[in-house]
Amino acid sequence: MEILERESDDRSLIEAAQNEPARFAALYDQNFDRVYAFFARRVSSRDEAQDLTAEVFHQALASIRTFKWQGAPFIAWLYGIAANVLSKHWTKQGKHVEEELSGLSSMGGEMERSVMLAKAVETLLPDQKHVILRRFVDQKSIREIAQELGRSEGAIKQLQLRALENLRAKLGGTI
Amino acid sequence: MNREQLAEELDLKIEALGTMNAHPSTPEPLLHLAAELRMLPREEFRNDLREQLMERAESLEVGEYPTSAAAHEFAFGQPDLSPAFSRQQFGALPADPRNFLFSFLSHAALVAFIASGIWAAHSPAVRNRILISELTYAPLPVGDIAPHGGGGGGDHSAMQASHGTPPKFSDQQLAPPAIVVRSESPKLQASPTVLGPPDLKLPQSNQLGDLFSPNVMPSNGSGSRGGIGDKSGTGIGTGVGSGVGPGYLAGYGDGVYRLGKGVTAPHAVYDPDPEYSDEARRAKYQGNVLLSLVVDATGHVRDIRVARSVGMGLDEKAIEAVQKWKFAPGMKDGHPVAVQVSVEVNFRLY
Repeated sequence: MEILERESDDRSLIEAAQNEPARFAALYDQNFDRVYAFFARRVSSRDEAQDLTAEVFHQALASIRTFKWQGAPFIAWLYGIAANVLSKHWTKQGKHVEEELSGLSSMGGEMERSVMLAKAVETLLPDQKHVILRRFVDQKSIREIAQELGRSEGAIKQLQLRALENLRAKLGGTI
Repeated sequence: MNREQLAEELDLKIEALGTMNAHPSTPEPLLHLAAELRMLPREEFRNDLREQLMERAESLEVGEYPTSAAAHEFAFGQPDLSPAFSRQQFGALPADPRNFLFSFLSHAALVAFIASGIWAAHSPAVRNRILISELTYAPLPVGDIAPHGGGGGGDHSAMQASHGTPPKFSDQQLAPPAIVVRSESPKLQASPTVLGPPDLKLPQSNQLGDLFSPNVMPSNGSGSRGGIGDKSGTGIGTGVGSGVGPGYLAGYGDGVYRLGKGVTAPHAVYDPDPEYSDEARRAKYQGNVLLSLVVDATGHVRDIRVARSVGMGLDEKAIEAVQKWKFAPGMKDGHPVAVQVSVEVNFRLY
Protein backbone atom coordinates (compact mmCIF):
# COMPACT_ATOMS: atom_id res chain seq x y z
CA MET A 1 0.00 0.00 0.00
CA GLU A 2 2.78 2.38 0.95
CA ILE A 3 4.61 1.58 -2.28
CA LEU A 4 1.49 2.35 -4.32
CA GLU A 5 1.08 5.68 -2.54
CA ARG A 6 4.72 6.55 -3.12
CA GLU A 7 4.36 5.71 -6.82
CA SER A 8 1.31 7.90 -7.07
CA ASP A 9 3.15 10.73 -5.31
CA ASP A 10 6.12 10.34 -7.63
CA ARG A 11 3.92 10.42 -10.70
CA SER A 12 2.00 13.50 -9.71
CA LEU A 13 5.16 15.38 -8.70
CA ILE A 14 6.86 14.48 -11.98
CA GLU A 15 3.84 15.49 -14.01
CA ALA A 16 3.69 18.80 -12.18
CA ALA A 17 7.40 19.48 -12.80
CA GLN A 18 7.08 18.56 -16.47
CA ASN A 19 4.30 21.08 -16.90
CA GLU A 20 5.69 23.74 -14.62
CA PRO A 21 9.46 23.63 -13.98
CA ALA A 22 9.18 25.57 -10.72
CA ARG A 23 7.39 22.54 -9.24
CA PHE A 24 10.69 20.64 -9.50
CA ALA A 25 11.32 21.94 -5.97
CA ALA A 26 9.12 19.21 -4.52
CA LEU A 27 11.12 16.49 -6.29
CA TYR A 28 14.31 18.13 -5.06
CA ASP A 29 13.11 18.21 -1.45
CA GLN A 30 11.94 14.62 -1.64
CA ASN A 31 15.17 13.23 -3.08
CA PHE A 32 17.98 15.49 -1.91
CA ASP A 33 19.06 13.31 1.02
CA ARG A 34 19.24 10.16 -1.08
CA VAL A 35 21.23 11.72 -3.89
CA TYR A 36 23.61 13.35 -1.43
CA ALA A 37 24.01 10.05 0.45
CA PHE A 38 24.87 8.36 -2.84
CA PHE A 39 27.93 10.58 -3.19
CA ALA A 40 28.80 11.00 0.48
CA ARG A 41 29.64 7.29 0.63
CA ARG A 42 31.82 7.40 -2.44
CA VAL A 43 33.90 10.55 -2.34
CA SER A 44 36.34 11.80 0.20
CA SER A 45 35.08 15.28 0.98
CA ARG A 46 31.86 17.09 1.63
CA ASP A 47 32.66 19.69 -1.03
CA GLU A 48 32.99 16.97 -3.66
CA ALA A 49 29.73 15.35 -2.58
CA GLN A 50 27.97 18.71 -2.68
CA ASP A 51 29.32 19.60 -6.14
CA LEU A 52 28.29 16.24 -7.57
CA THR A 53 24.85 16.44 -5.96
CA ALA A 54 24.33 19.87 -7.50
CA GLU A 55 25.34 18.48 -10.89
CA VAL A 56 22.76 15.68 -10.67
CA PHE A 57 19.88 18.01 -9.86
CA HIS A 58 20.89 20.49 -12.57
CA GLN A 59 20.93 17.67 -15.11
CA ALA A 60 17.66 16.27 -13.82
CA LEU A 61 15.94 19.65 -14.08
CA ALA A 62 17.29 20.14 -17.61
CA SER A 63 15.91 16.82 -18.78
CA ILE A 64 12.84 16.26 -16.60
CA ARG A 65 10.62 16.55 -19.65
CA THR A 66 12.31 13.50 -21.17
CA PHE A 67 11.55 11.36 -18.15
CA LYS A 68 9.13 8.58 -18.95
CA TRP A 69 7.33 6.70 -16.28
CA GLN A 70 8.18 3.03 -16.55
CA GLY A 71 7.22 1.85 -13.12
CA ALA A 72 10.57 2.49 -11.46
CA PRO A 73 10.64 5.21 -8.79
CA PHE A 74 11.99 8.64 -9.68
CA ILE A 75 14.99 8.13 -7.42
CA ALA A 76 16.13 5.28 -9.69
CA TRP A 77 16.36 7.76 -12.55
CA LEU A 78 18.31 10.17 -10.34
CA TYR A 79 20.68 7.37 -9.33
CA GLY A 80 21.26 6.69 -13.02
CA ILE A 81 22.29 10.31 -13.55
CA ALA A 82 24.35 10.18 -10.36
CA ALA A 83 26.24 7.07 -11.49
CA ASN A 84 27.02 8.78 -14.76
CA VAL A 85 28.20 11.95 -13.02
CA LEU A 86 30.31 9.90 -10.63
CA SER A 87 31.82 7.89 -13.44
CA LYS A 88 32.93 11.09 -15.21
CA HIS A 89 34.25 12.46 -11.95
CA TRP A 90 36.37 9.35 -11.36
CA THR A 91 37.58 9.37 -14.93
CA LYS A 92 38.80 12.93 -14.46
CA GLN A 93 40.61 11.81 -11.32
CA GLY A 94 42.27 8.97 -13.22
CA LYS A 95 40.48 6.23 -11.28
CA HIS A 96 39.53 2.88 -12.77
CA VAL A 97 35.84 3.42 -13.23
CA GLU A 98 34.92 -0.24 -13.74
CA GLU A 99 36.55 -1.27 -10.49
CA GLU A 100 34.98 1.57 -8.55
CA LEU A 101 31.55 1.00 -10.06
CA SER A 102 31.62 -2.68 -9.19
CA GLY A 103 31.23 -1.72 -5.54
CA LEU A 104 28.16 0.45 -6.08
CA SER A 105 25.52 -2.22 -5.90
CA SER A 106 26.59 -3.38 -2.48
CA MET A 107 26.18 0.04 -0.88
CA GLY A 108 22.40 0.39 -0.91
CA GLY A 109 22.05 -0.32 2.80
CA GLU A 110 24.73 2.17 3.76
CA MET A 111 23.09 4.85 1.66
CA GLU A 112 19.75 4.30 3.35
CA ARG A 113 21.50 4.59 6.71
CA SER A 114 23.00 7.93 5.68
CA VAL A 115 19.55 9.17 4.75
CA MET A 116 18.21 8.00 8.09
CA LEU A 117 21.08 9.72 9.88
CA ALA A 118 20.33 13.06 8.18
CA LYS A 119 16.67 12.74 9.16
CA ALA A 120 17.55 11.68 12.71
CA VAL A 121 19.65 14.83 13.23
CA GLU A 122 16.57 16.89 12.38
CA THR A 123 14.67 15.25 15.24
CA LEU A 124 17.24 15.98 17.95
CA LEU A 125 16.52 18.49 20.69
CA PRO A 126 17.50 22.00 19.53
CA ASP A 127 20.63 22.35 21.68
CA GLN A 128 21.85 18.85 20.74
CA LYS A 129 21.20 19.50 17.07
CA HIS A 130 23.07 22.79 17.30
CA VAL A 131 26.11 21.11 18.83
CA ILE A 132 26.09 18.31 16.25
CA LEU A 133 25.84 20.68 13.29
CA ARG A 134 28.45 23.12 14.60
CA ARG A 135 30.86 20.39 15.70
CA PHE A 136 30.67 18.03 12.73
CA VAL A 137 29.27 19.99 9.81
CA ASP A 138 30.93 23.34 10.50
CA GLN A 139 33.81 21.57 12.25
CA LYS A 140 34.05 24.03 15.12
CA SER A 141 35.97 23.29 18.28
CA ILE A 142 34.27 22.59 21.59
CA ARG A 143 35.66 25.89 22.85
CA GLU A 144 34.09 27.87 20.01
CA ILE A 145 30.71 26.23 20.52
CA ALA A 146 30.92 26.81 24.26
CA GLN A 147 31.61 30.53 23.67
CA GLU A 148 28.70 30.78 21.26
CA LEU A 149 26.25 29.18 23.64
CA GLY A 150 27.70 30.77 26.77
CA ARG A 151 28.21 27.40 28.44
CA SER A 152 31.21 25.49 29.77
CA GLU A 153 33.28 23.22 27.54
CA GLY A 154 32.38 20.29 29.79
CA ALA A 155 28.68 20.96 29.25
CA ILE A 156 29.14 21.00 25.49
CA LYS A 157 31.04 17.70 25.60
CA GLN A 158 28.17 16.19 27.60
CA LEU A 159 25.67 17.52 25.06
CA GLN A 160 27.77 16.03 22.27
CA LEU A 161 27.83 12.65 23.98
CA ARG A 162 24.06 12.69 24.60
CA ALA A 163 23.34 13.74 21.03
CA LEU A 164 25.47 10.94 19.60
CA GLU A 165 23.86 8.41 21.91
CA ASN A 166 20.40 9.63 20.90
CA LEU A 167 21.28 9.41 17.24
CA ARG A 168 22.51 5.89 17.68
CA ALA A 169 19.30 4.95 19.47
CA LYS A 170 17.18 6.55 16.71
CA LEU A 171 19.06 4.48 14.16
CA GLY A 172 18.34 1.37 16.14
CA GLY A 173 21.97 0.81 17.08
CA THR A 174 22.84 -0.01 13.50
CA ILE A 175 25.97 2.11 13.58
CA MET B 1 34.24 5.63 34.04
CA ASN B 2 31.63 8.32 34.77
CA ARG B 3 29.70 10.32 32.14
CA GLU B 4 32.05 13.27 32.39
CA GLN B 5 35.11 11.14 31.70
CA LEU B 6 33.27 9.35 28.92
CA ALA B 7 32.33 12.63 27.26
CA GLU B 8 35.92 13.86 27.62
CA GLU B 9 37.44 10.71 26.13
CA LEU B 10 34.98 10.62 23.27
CA ASP B 11 35.77 14.22 22.39
CA LEU B 12 39.51 13.51 22.36
CA LYS B 13 38.90 10.71 19.87
CA ILE B 14 36.63 12.93 17.78
CA GLU B 15 39.34 15.58 17.74
CA ALA B 16 41.86 12.98 16.56
CA LEU B 17 39.38 11.89 13.92
CA GLY B 18 39.32 15.42 12.59
CA THR B 19 43.09 15.49 12.36
CA MET B 20 43.22 12.17 10.54
CA ASN B 21 40.28 13.16 8.36
CA ALA B 22 39.36 9.51 8.08
CA HIS B 23 37.09 6.85 9.48
CA PRO B 24 38.11 5.38 12.82
CA SER B 25 39.94 2.10 12.84
CA THR B 26 38.48 0.99 16.16
CA PRO B 27 34.96 -0.47 16.24
CA GLU B 28 33.48 2.29 18.40
CA PRO B 29 29.90 2.99 17.34
CA LEU B 30 29.76 6.60 18.47
CA LEU B 31 33.04 7.40 16.77
CA HIS B 32 31.80 5.86 13.52
CA LEU B 33 28.70 7.95 13.85
CA ALA B 34 30.85 11.05 14.35
CA ALA B 35 32.80 10.22 11.19
CA GLU B 36 29.57 9.94 9.21
CA LEU B 37 28.23 13.19 10.60
CA ARG B 38 31.30 14.95 9.22
CA MET B 39 29.98 14.22 5.74
CA LEU B 40 26.51 15.70 6.27
CA PRO B 41 25.79 18.51 3.80
CA ARG B 42 25.72 22.08 5.00
CA GLU B 43 22.24 23.49 5.50
CA GLU B 44 23.10 26.54 3.44
CA PHE B 45 24.22 24.32 0.55
CA ARG B 46 20.87 22.57 0.48
CA ASN B 47 19.04 25.90 0.49
CA ASP B 48 21.36 27.58 -2.00
CA LEU B 49 21.09 24.72 -4.46
CA ARG B 50 17.31 24.83 -4.16
CA GLU B 51 17.37 28.54 -4.94
CA GLN B 52 19.69 27.99 -7.90
CA LEU B 53 17.40 25.31 -9.31
CA MET B 54 14.33 27.45 -8.88
CA GLU B 55 16.01 30.37 -10.64
CA ARG B 56 16.92 28.08 -13.49
CA ALA B 57 13.45 26.56 -13.56
CA GLU B 58 11.94 30.02 -13.91
CA SER B 59 14.15 30.71 -16.90
CA LEU B 60 12.93 27.58 -18.69
CA GLU B 61 10.13 28.32 -21.03
CA VAL B 62 6.97 26.50 -20.12
CA GLY B 63 6.38 26.03 -23.84
CA GLU B 64 9.37 23.71 -24.03
CA TYR B 65 7.68 21.28 -21.72
CA PRO B 66 5.10 18.72 -22.76
CA THR B 67 1.52 19.79 -22.52
CA SER B 68 -0.47 18.49 -19.63
CA ALA B 69 -2.16 15.91 -21.82
CA ALA B 70 1.09 14.74 -23.37
CA ALA B 71 2.78 14.48 -19.99
CA HIS B 72 -0.17 12.54 -18.70
CA GLU B 73 0.06 10.20 -21.62
CA PHE B 74 3.58 9.05 -21.00
CA ALA B 75 3.53 9.40 -17.28
CA PHE B 76 0.40 7.48 -16.54
CA GLY B 77 0.00 5.22 -19.50
CA GLN B 78 -2.97 4.80 -21.80
CA PRO B 79 -5.34 1.98 -22.57
CA ASP B 80 -3.51 -0.80 -24.34
CA LEU B 81 -3.21 0.30 -27.97
CA SER B 82 -1.62 -2.97 -29.10
CA PRO B 83 -3.86 -5.70 -27.81
CA ALA B 84 -2.35 -8.19 -30.26
CA PHE B 85 1.03 -7.74 -28.68
CA SER B 86 -0.29 -8.18 -25.17
CA ARG B 87 -2.47 -11.12 -26.29
CA GLN B 88 -5.70 -9.38 -25.33
CA GLN B 89 -8.55 -10.85 -27.34
CA PHE B 90 -11.23 -8.54 -28.70
CA GLY B 91 -12.73 -10.62 -31.53
CA ALA B 92 -13.62 -14.22 -32.12
CA LEU B 93 -10.11 -15.17 -33.23
CA PRO B 94 -7.21 -15.34 -30.78
CA ALA B 95 -4.73 -12.45 -31.00
CA ASP B 96 -1.31 -13.37 -32.33
CA PRO B 97 1.67 -11.15 -31.48
CA ARG B 98 3.44 -12.22 -34.70
CA ASN B 99 0.80 -10.38 -36.75
CA PHE B 100 1.51 -7.21 -34.85
CA LEU B 101 5.27 -7.64 -35.31
CA PHE B 102 4.98 -8.25 -39.03
CA SER B 103 2.70 -5.26 -39.49
CA PHE B 104 4.96 -3.04 -37.44
CA LEU B 105 8.13 -4.02 -39.30
CA SER B 106 6.60 -3.60 -42.75
CA HIS B 107 5.23 -0.14 -41.89
CA ALA B 108 8.51 0.88 -40.31
CA ALA B 109 10.40 -0.15 -43.44
CA LEU B 110 8.04 1.87 -45.63
CA VAL B 111 8.33 4.98 -43.46
CA ALA B 112 12.14 4.64 -43.35
CA PHE B 113 12.30 4.35 -47.13
CA ILE B 114 10.24 7.51 -47.66
CA ALA B 115 12.09 9.42 -44.94
CA SER B 116 15.51 8.53 -46.34
CA GLY B 117 14.58 10.07 -49.69
CA ILE B 118 13.38 13.26 -48.07
CA TRP B 119 16.47 13.42 -45.91
CA ALA B 120 18.85 12.89 -48.82
CA ALA B 121 17.18 15.70 -50.74
CA HIS B 122 16.87 18.29 -48.02
CA SER B 123 18.75 17.55 -44.86
CA PRO B 124 21.69 19.83 -44.16
CA ALA B 125 24.73 18.36 -42.53
CA VAL B 126 25.79 20.47 -39.63
CA ARG B 127 29.03 20.03 -37.81
CA ASN B 128 30.12 21.90 -34.82
CA ARG B 129 33.45 22.04 -33.14
CA ILE B 130 34.88 23.84 -30.24
CA LEU B 131 37.83 26.11 -30.46
CA ILE B 132 39.29 27.07 -27.19
CA SER B 133 41.06 30.36 -27.39
CA GLU B 134 42.14 33.21 -25.22
CA LEU B 135 39.80 36.09 -25.71
CA THR B 136 40.08 39.60 -24.44
CA TYR B 137 39.47 39.64 -20.75
CA ALA B 138 37.51 42.55 -19.39
CA PRO B 139 36.45 42.48 -15.76
CA LEU B 140 33.12 44.06 -15.02
CA PRO B 141 33.09 47.29 -13.06
CA VAL B 142 32.06 47.33 -9.44
CA GLY B 143 28.33 47.18 -8.99
CA ASP B 144 27.58 45.33 -12.16
CA ILE B 145 24.07 44.00 -11.94
CA ALA B 146 24.89 40.41 -12.71
CA PRO B 147 28.06 39.30 -10.98
CA HIS B 148 28.54 35.55 -11.05
CA GLY B 149 31.63 34.91 -8.95
CA GLY B 150 31.00 35.04 -5.29
CA GLY B 151 32.12 34.56 -1.80
CA GLY B 152 30.99 34.84 1.71
CA GLY B 153 31.83 33.63 5.09
CA GLY B 154 31.90 35.16 8.52
CA ASP B 155 32.21 33.93 12.05
CA HIS B 156 28.57 33.69 13.09
CA SER B 157 28.56 37.25 14.36
CA ALA B 158 25.17 38.68 15.23
CA MET B 159 25.85 41.65 12.97
CA GLN B 160 25.93 41.88 9.20
CA ALA B 161 29.42 42.08 7.68
CA SER B 162 30.76 45.61 7.74
CA HIS B 163 31.46 47.88 4.80
CA GLY B 164 34.89 47.95 3.19
CA THR B 165 36.81 46.72 0.21
CA PRO B 166 38.11 43.23 -0.60
CA PRO B 167 41.81 42.34 -0.58
CA LYS B 168 43.58 41.50 -3.84
CA PHE B 169 42.58 38.55 -5.97
CA SER B 170 45.01 35.67 -6.16
CA ASP B 171 45.27 32.19 -7.67
CA GLN B 172 45.85 30.84 -4.18
CA GLN B 173 44.30 31.80 -0.91
CA LEU B 174 46.66 31.32 2.02
CA ALA B 175 44.64 33.44 4.41
CA PRO B 176 41.00 34.48 4.19
CA PRO B 177 40.05 38.10 4.81
CA ALA B 178 38.80 39.04 8.26
CA ILE B 179 37.76 42.32 9.82
CA VAL B 180 37.63 41.07 13.38
CA VAL B 181 40.73 38.94 13.89
CA ARG B 182 40.10 36.22 16.49
CA SER B 183 43.59 34.80 16.61
CA GLU B 184 46.26 37.34 17.55
CA SER B 185 49.11 34.92 16.86
CA PRO B 186 48.33 33.03 13.68
CA LYS B 187 50.52 30.02 12.91
CA LEU B 188 51.10 31.22 9.38
CA GLN B 189 51.70 34.85 8.50
CA ALA B 190 50.15 35.60 5.14
CA SER B 191 48.32 38.49 3.55
CA PRO B 192 44.63 37.85 3.10
CA THR B 193 43.46 37.36 -0.47
CA VAL B 194 40.33 36.27 -2.26
CA LEU B 195 40.32 33.63 -4.96
CA GLY B 196 40.14 34.84 -8.54
CA PRO B 197 42.20 35.94 -11.52
CA PRO B 198 45.05 38.09 -10.18
CA ASP B 199 44.44 40.71 -12.85
CA LEU B 200 40.91 41.26 -11.62
CA LYS B 201 40.93 44.65 -9.88
CA LEU B 202 38.41 46.01 -7.44
CA PRO B 203 38.75 49.22 -5.39
CA GLN B 204 41.26 48.91 -2.56
CA SER B 205 41.34 50.67 0.78
CA ASN B 206 42.76 50.10 4.24
CA GLN B 207 39.42 48.81 5.47
CA LEU B 208 38.56 45.25 4.54
CA GLY B 209 34.88 44.47 4.14
CA ASP B 210 31.90 43.98 1.91
CA LEU B 211 31.58 46.66 -0.75
CA PHE B 212 27.82 46.62 -0.63
CA SER B 213 27.21 46.44 3.09
CA PRO B 214 25.76 49.52 4.84
CA ASN B 215 27.06 48.38 8.24
CA VAL B 216 29.95 50.44 9.58
CA MET B 217 30.44 48.53 12.84
CA PRO B 218 33.32 46.02 12.56
CA SER B 219 31.94 42.55 11.92
CA ASN B 220 32.89 39.49 9.92
CA GLY B 221 29.22 38.73 9.37
CA SER B 222 26.81 36.02 10.32
CA GLY B 223 28.08 33.36 7.90
CA SER B 224 30.59 30.62 8.47
CA ARG B 225 34.01 29.28 7.49
CA GLY B 226 36.03 32.41 8.14
CA GLY B 227 35.51 34.95 5.36
CA ILE B 228 33.37 38.06 5.48
CA GLY B 229 29.67 37.73 4.78
CA ASP B 230 26.46 36.03 5.74
CA LYS B 231 26.69 32.69 3.99
CA SER B 232 29.62 30.35 3.68
CA GLY B 233 33.15 30.39 2.43
CA THR B 234 36.41 32.22 2.73
CA GLY B 235 35.51 35.09 0.42
CA ILE B 236 33.55 38.29 0.85
CA GLY B 237 29.92 39.05 0.15
CA THR B 238 26.53 37.48 0.17
CA GLY B 239 27.51 34.46 -1.92
CA VAL B 240 29.18 31.14 -1.26
CA GLY B 241 32.84 30.55 -1.99
CA SER B 242 36.24 32.15 -1.93
CA GLY B 243 35.61 35.03 -4.33
CA VAL B 244 33.72 38.28 -3.96
CA GLY B 245 30.03 38.98 -4.51
CA PRO B 246 26.68 37.27 -4.39
CA GLY B 247 27.51 34.36 -6.71
CA TYR B 248 29.44 31.16 -6.25
CA LEU B 249 33.05 30.00 -6.04
CA ALA B 250 35.95 32.17 -7.18
CA GLY B 251 36.13 35.53 -8.89
CA TYR B 252 33.77 38.42 -9.07
CA GLY B 253 31.38 39.59 -11.73
CA ASP B 254 33.02 38.59 -14.93
CA GLY B 255 35.89 37.15 -12.91
CA VAL B 256 36.49 34.49 -15.46
CA TYR B 257 39.68 32.55 -16.03
CA ARG B 258 41.52 32.29 -19.27
CA LEU B 259 43.20 29.10 -20.31
CA GLY B 260 46.77 28.33 -19.41
CA LYS B 261 48.70 28.80 -16.18
CA GLY B 262 47.07 25.74 -14.66
CA VAL B 263 43.56 26.43 -15.92
CA THR B 264 42.24 23.50 -17.92
CA ALA B 265 39.72 23.79 -20.71
CA PRO B 266 36.10 22.83 -20.23
CA HIS B 267 34.87 20.12 -22.55
CA ALA B 268 31.39 19.51 -23.84
CA VAL B 269 29.57 16.47 -22.48
CA TYR B 270 26.26 17.24 -24.16
CA ASP B 271 26.38 19.16 -27.43
CA PRO B 272 23.40 18.63 -29.71
CA ASP B 273 23.82 19.96 -33.26
CA PRO B 274 22.17 23.24 -34.15
CA GLU B 275 19.32 23.38 -36.62
CA TYR B 276 19.64 25.06 -40.00
CA SER B 277 17.53 28.19 -40.43
CA ASP B 278 14.86 27.99 -43.15
CA GLU B 279 16.16 31.17 -44.72
CA ALA B 280 19.73 29.87 -45.01
CA ARG B 281 18.62 26.46 -46.25
CA ARG B 282 16.51 27.99 -49.03
CA ALA B 283 19.42 30.20 -50.06
CA LYS B 284 21.87 27.26 -49.76
CA TYR B 285 23.89 29.52 -47.51
CA GLN B 286 26.85 28.20 -45.48
CA GLY B 287 29.09 29.76 -42.90
CA ASN B 288 30.85 29.56 -39.56
CA VAL B 289 29.47 31.43 -36.57
CA LEU B 290 31.99 32.25 -33.87
CA LEU B 291 30.53 32.59 -30.39
CA SER B 292 32.25 33.84 -27.28
CA LEU B 293 30.89 32.45 -24.05
CA VAL B 294 31.66 31.59 -20.49
CA VAL B 295 31.42 28.06 -19.15
CA ASP B 296 30.77 28.57 -15.47
CA ALA B 297 32.00 26.43 -12.63
CA THR B 298 28.91 24.25 -12.78
CA GLY B 299 29.41 23.52 -16.49
CA HIS B 300 26.61 25.77 -17.68
CA VAL B 301 26.96 28.23 -20.51
CA ARG B 302 26.39 31.92 -19.94
CA ASP B 303 27.21 35.30 -21.43
CA ILE B 304 27.01 34.14 -25.03
CA ARG B 305 27.79 36.78 -27.62
CA VAL B 306 28.39 36.55 -31.33
CA ALA B 307 32.05 37.23 -32.09
CA ARG B 308 31.66 36.58 -35.83
CA SER B 309 28.24 36.71 -37.45
CA VAL B 310 27.14 35.04 -40.67
CA GLY B 311 23.51 36.17 -40.64
CA MET B 312 20.59 34.45 -42.36
CA GLY B 313 19.29 33.35 -38.98
CA LEU B 314 22.27 31.06 -38.40
CA ASP B 315 23.65 33.18 -35.52
CA GLU B 316 20.40 32.71 -33.65
CA LYS B 317 20.36 28.98 -34.40
CA ALA B 318 23.94 28.65 -33.14
CA ILE B 319 23.11 30.47 -29.91
CA GLU B 320 19.95 28.43 -29.47
CA ALA B 321 21.95 25.19 -29.69
CA VAL B 322 24.89 26.25 -27.57
CA GLN B 323 22.58 27.42 -24.79
CA LYS B 324 21.58 23.77 -24.38
CA TRP B 325 25.13 22.47 -24.19
CA LYS B 326 26.53 21.08 -20.98
CA PHE B 327 30.21 21.09 -20.14
CA ALA B 328 32.53 19.49 -17.69
CA PRO B 329 33.89 22.78 -16.30
CA GLY B 330 37.45 24.01 -16.58
CA MET B 331 39.57 23.29 -13.53
CA LYS B 332 42.11 25.25 -11.55
CA ASP B 333 43.99 23.62 -8.67
CA GLY B 334 41.43 20.85 -8.57
CA HIS B 335 38.46 23.23 -8.34
CA PRO B 336 35.98 24.02 -11.08
CA VAL B 337 36.22 27.60 -12.31
CA ALA B 338 34.45 29.75 -14.87
CA VAL B 339 36.43 29.87 -18.11
CA GLN B 340 35.99 32.02 -21.20
CA VAL B 341 36.07 30.09 -24.45
CA SER B 342 35.00 30.57 -28.01
CA VAL B 343 32.95 28.09 -29.95
CA GLU B 344 32.83 27.91 -33.72
CA VAL B 345 29.64 26.46 -35.13
CA ASN B 346 30.00 25.37 -38.74
CA PHE B 347 26.91 25.25 -40.93
CA ARG B 348 27.40 23.15 -44.08
CA LEU B 349 24.94 21.87 -46.67
CA TYR B 350 25.87 18.68 -48.52
